[in-house]
Amino acid sequence: MSEPENDAVEALLREGFEGPVPDEGFCDDVMQRLPPRRRRHVWPLAAGLAAGAVVCWLSLQSVPLVRTGWRDWLSGQISAPALTLLLVMAGISLLALAWTVAEADDRRSESRQ
Amino acid sequence: MTDSAAQARVDQALVARVLLADDRRAFEQLLRRYQGLVRAQLRRLLKGDHARADDLAQETFLLAWRKLDQFRGDSRFSTWLHRIAYTCFLQARRKQSWVADHNDGDDETGEQAAGQPAMDLHLDIERAMQRLSGAEQMVLLHCVQLGMSHSETSYVLAMPLGTVKTHATQGKAKLRALLADWQDAGRKEQAS
Repeated sequence: MSEPENDAVEALLREGFEGPVPDEGFCDDVMQRLPPRRRRHVWPLAAGLAAGAVVCWLSLQSVPLVRTGWRDWLSGQISAPALTLLLVMAGISLLALAWTVAEADDRRSESRQ
Repeated sequence: MTDSAAQARVDQALVARVLLADDRRAFEQLLRRYQGLVRAQLRRLLKGDHARADDLAQETFLLAWRKLDQFRGDSRFSTWLHRIAYTCFLQARRKQSWVADHNDGDDETGEQAAGQPAMDLHLDIERAMQRLSGAEQMVLLHCVQLGMSHSETSYVLAMPLGTVKTHATQGKAKLRALLADWQDAGRKEQAS
């Protein structure tokens, strides 16, 4: 179909379309029915993190390596258990950082599409 | 900056006001900006059932209010609303069998009217549209009558972009044949 014919059909279709519907009280009706917005609460996430940390500490407390490493670290001695503990914490932090960067990148590319 | 880009910025600002400050007036502005076209879309989809269309339009805006934090701004706000409206329409159609009843009625009137001379452009366009497939009708409604781009129509109808373009081309070709008399009349008017 040529461009002028295409335009002619589109013009006829647009002519046959009534266009936007006048308000006639519609908006007021909708506004009256709007429920209050639900606020997102932060406390479940914070409580979950705190509970996880406590459970993790309680389960690791009895491990000699962790206990010795923690004690050496607090007293400023760089012993093998303290270094192990430090490396494990650094590794977990790096993993969390990489995950955060990947998530942020995903969101940015989604918003560009 | 183009008009549509400026409008998109205004919409984004209004959405941000609703989300950050729980500003109902900002949502009311969005509602007033787009209710006309969303209701027109639904009236078309529901083949002129105004009461049902307005019920679905109300449902659409209540859903938009609840899900506003899911609007990421990767499409225009109006396109996002039209998509919600179309989803509401599909859900309503699944729940009820009104479409089958409605189409039966339309077929009867189409047969009765087939022998009568065309009296009115709107009526003829309606009849011509009814002869298209459902997908072609949907695509032409959104692409031509509601003025969306092919990619926006693809987003609203959840249809691949290539399929949208095919339906648009095929639908227009069929309409051209069905509305040939009106186009000839238009050309003669322009010539005289």
